[in-house]
Amino acid sequence: MVDESLVPTVCPYCALGCGFYIKLGEDEPGIEYMLDHPTNQGSLCPKGNAALEILNHPDRLRYPLRRTEGGWVRISWEEVLAKVAEEIKKTVRDHGPDALGFLGSAKCTNEENYIFQKMARMLGSKNVDCCARRCHSPTIPALNRAFGSACMTNPISDLANSDCIFVIGSNFAENHPIVARWVLRAKDRGAFVIVADPRLTPTTWLADLHLQINLGTDVALLNGMMNVIVEEGLENRKFIDGRTVGFEDLLEKVKEYTPETVAETTGVSPGAIVRAARSYAKSPSSVIVYSMGITQHSHGTNNVAACADLALICGQLGRSGAGLYPLRGQNNVQGACDMGVLADFYPGSRSVNDIEAIHFIEEAWGAGTLPVGMGMTAETMPVAAGDGDLRFLYVMGEDVINSDSSSSRGRRELENLDFMVVQDIFMTDTAEMADVVLPAAAWAEKEGTFTSSERRVQWVSRALDPPGEARSDLWTILEVASRLGLDFDYAGPEEVLAEIGRVVPSYAGISRERAEARGGVIWPCPYPEHPGTPILHQEEFTAPKGRARIVPVDYLPPAEESSLDYPLLLTTGRVVLHYNAGSMTRRSFSLMRRSPELFVEVNPDDADRWSIIDGDLVEVNTRRGRAWARARVTTRQEKGVLFMPFHFPETNQLTSDVIDPEARIPEFKVAACRIGKMKGV
Amino acid sequence: MEIYVDLGRCICCHACEVACEREHGEPNISVEAVRYRASVPVSCHQCEVAPCALVCPSGALAKGASSVSFEAEKCTSCGLCLLVCPFGAIDMDSTSMVHKCDLCPEREVPACVLTCPTEALLYGDQEDATKELRRRAARRIAQSYAAAVGRDRA
Repeated sequence: MVDESLVPTVCPYCALGCGFYIKLGEDEPGIEYMLDHPTNQGSLCPKGNAALEILNHPDRLRYPLRRTEGGWVRISWEEVLAKVAEEIKKTVRDHGPDALGFLGSAKCTNEENYIFQKMARMLGSKNVDCCARRCHSPTIPALNRAFGSACMTNPISDLANSDCIFVIGSNFAENHPIVARWVLRAKDRGAFVIVADPRLTPTTWLADLHLQINLGTDVALLNGMMNVIVEEGLENRKFIDGRTVGFEDLLEKVKEYTPETVAETTGVSPGAIVRAARSYAKSPSSVIVYSMGITQHSHGTNNVAACADLALICGQLGRSGAGLYPLRGQNNVQGACDMGVLADFYPGSRSVNDIEAIHFIEEAWGAGTLPVGMGMTAETMPVAAGDGDLRFLYVMGEDVINSDSSSSRGRRELENLDFMVVQDIFMTDTAEMADVVLPAAAWAEKEGTFTSSERRVQWVSRALDPPGEARSDLWTILEVASRLGLDFDYAGPEEVLAEIGRVVPSYAGISRERAEARGGVIWPCPYPEHPGTPILHQEEFTAPKGRARIVPVDYLPPAEESSLDYPLLLTTGRVVLHYNAGSMTRRSFSLMRRSPELFVEVNPDDADRWSIIDGDLVEVNTRRGRAWARARVTTRQEKGVLFMPFHFPETNQLTSDVIDPEARIPEFKVAACRIGKMKGV
Repeated sequence: MEIYVDLGRCICCHACEVACEREHGEPNISVEAVRYRASVPVSCHQCEVAPCALVCPSGALAKGASSVSFEAEKCTSCGLCLLVCPFGAIDMDSTSMVHKCDLCPEREVPACVLTCPTEALLYGDQEDATKELRRRAARRIAQSYAAAVGRDRA
């Protein structure tokens, strides 16, 4: 009998927080299914099944590296840490702390992110942000305004208890496949599933009603549904009167959004709009599931507000089977936001403009004066680098270049920095631009907590050793901090978690022990004996006076429209076999062999017009750049719309850099473009 | 015993393929999508009358009580089984070694079934599988009916 041991872990890919075991024995580490995990019940998507492939990958960064004219040179940790500290000090001395930028990571633990932003802010820099800016930044202001709390309201498994599931801008069957498990369980109970998506996807296969809307017309659709609901008297008066404010303004606003008018904008028939509205409003318990199709727009904040309004006027919140599900992207994006790795929030969603809240943090940290006011975001840091206002950038675990829209611009701007530090597990395109690269431990090679989309805080144990001299991000940041004279004295992640509990009220009752138990704890967990809070807003909202705010919004068209030069619209998204900018999945053999290259989906009518046949190599152009991809001729999207996944670096050279004015998220989902056969390389 | 499919649940995620590939080196199940309208996982059906076992000249493939077994030591890599399998569920790897679904003998439930996010794959004998499929269908219809006639859903 081989001596095998099973180390419980949490999947490093999407935000569902699925559990599995890493099986250790004489052979290579393996995966064993965790049948009693509350979210995935043992099941795993293809990425979860392939998760271990990246750990022992030959491309892993093993030693600290310094850029020289002759290429990368291996240096010692002592040397690299001293260099980073010296560059930070020099930047502060010559240009002030606002010339420092810090990009945290939704792939790193809560403890690492917490210490990362604490270091940045104690150095006096406001410029702390993370990739949450590119996924759910609109969710934060919109849901904070509506409910007083910007997160998923109910657990994933509670989807099974819903009678009507309205999905808008989420292809969960590909991006969060385990969600499909619970949606199908709901369908087994007779639930009605509505999916609004411009494309035909495996998610729309599960729909009883597919609303194939035009790109970026979500607010029109949602206002149209609300128009039907109030015209037919289907709103929940008791809920509106007892638990909300602002309904009268909404009544006025949605008047003009009749099903007929909305049909013209959205391309969805009036009958389908009425049917969707009635199903959602009349069902005993309904949920709204949304994701990047709602947020990645120049009016993303309005899109989220309209989703919240629909839930509020129908009273479909605060109980089992009724809620709002912003499906988060990264395994710890909720946690990174909770830890304050955002330019607008200190830990615990404390506004950077709230002087009293900042005094509390100053006291908790024993810090002098901490910076007040909004800092630079993940999107504005590169711009500021281009302008010379940002001189030093510290990137922990993110491929900024390939994640950002209009990526060739970002690359030019970052070249202007005096010094850039990148801490990662692979030499990403962003790391290639750095002055020093610090090798990091991957999720299974370190310990700490991750917070999933359903606010579930789970402890991850160290199952394996990191390769070479790679170290946990926590170790590295603490070493840098100590060289900057910051008095950070933590014996390990447990002690950081204990401090998080003192600073972030919803984590107050969460200890290592509780996070280590199967399924961890769902926050808010305000004291150690508290069971956690799977369903939010049951009695009252977190918003002022416990009442939610209905914020009516107007439909605004996407920033770019098709034109003579750019007659088509490009939308971007994901495929099931890849993940985000692809630095992990493109190095995973079993995933790459199934999805090896960038493709562009073209409707047959458009293919005819531009003489493209299935399998051709084509060139796609936008105002910002060009990309080559393999054409797939398909009726998955309507005439005039192209689709490309953004897991390959070329796609984001095309995407729009127009941003939502409030959330500052770029409009990844709509760009005017043209397509043609590739002319000789 | 074999692997059954509840077709309405398959979302073409390929998790079964990747899980099988990790356990066996090569995948013995594959998912095909047709024009993005539906997808079907295909693997060995452990046929009652198994053409692969009938044509196998060396006895490497043999029909047992409840599945078709494969003994690598006896295989001559002649490839006849590939030609006759009506599902294309037998394949050869780069070393000309035949591989097919072995139902993960070291596990109670095969890896593909455990990993399937949507419970589209079912493991059992014919009776178990059809019973579960009937139960799911009946439940859906009964719930909708109950709602339609104004009774609360269970």
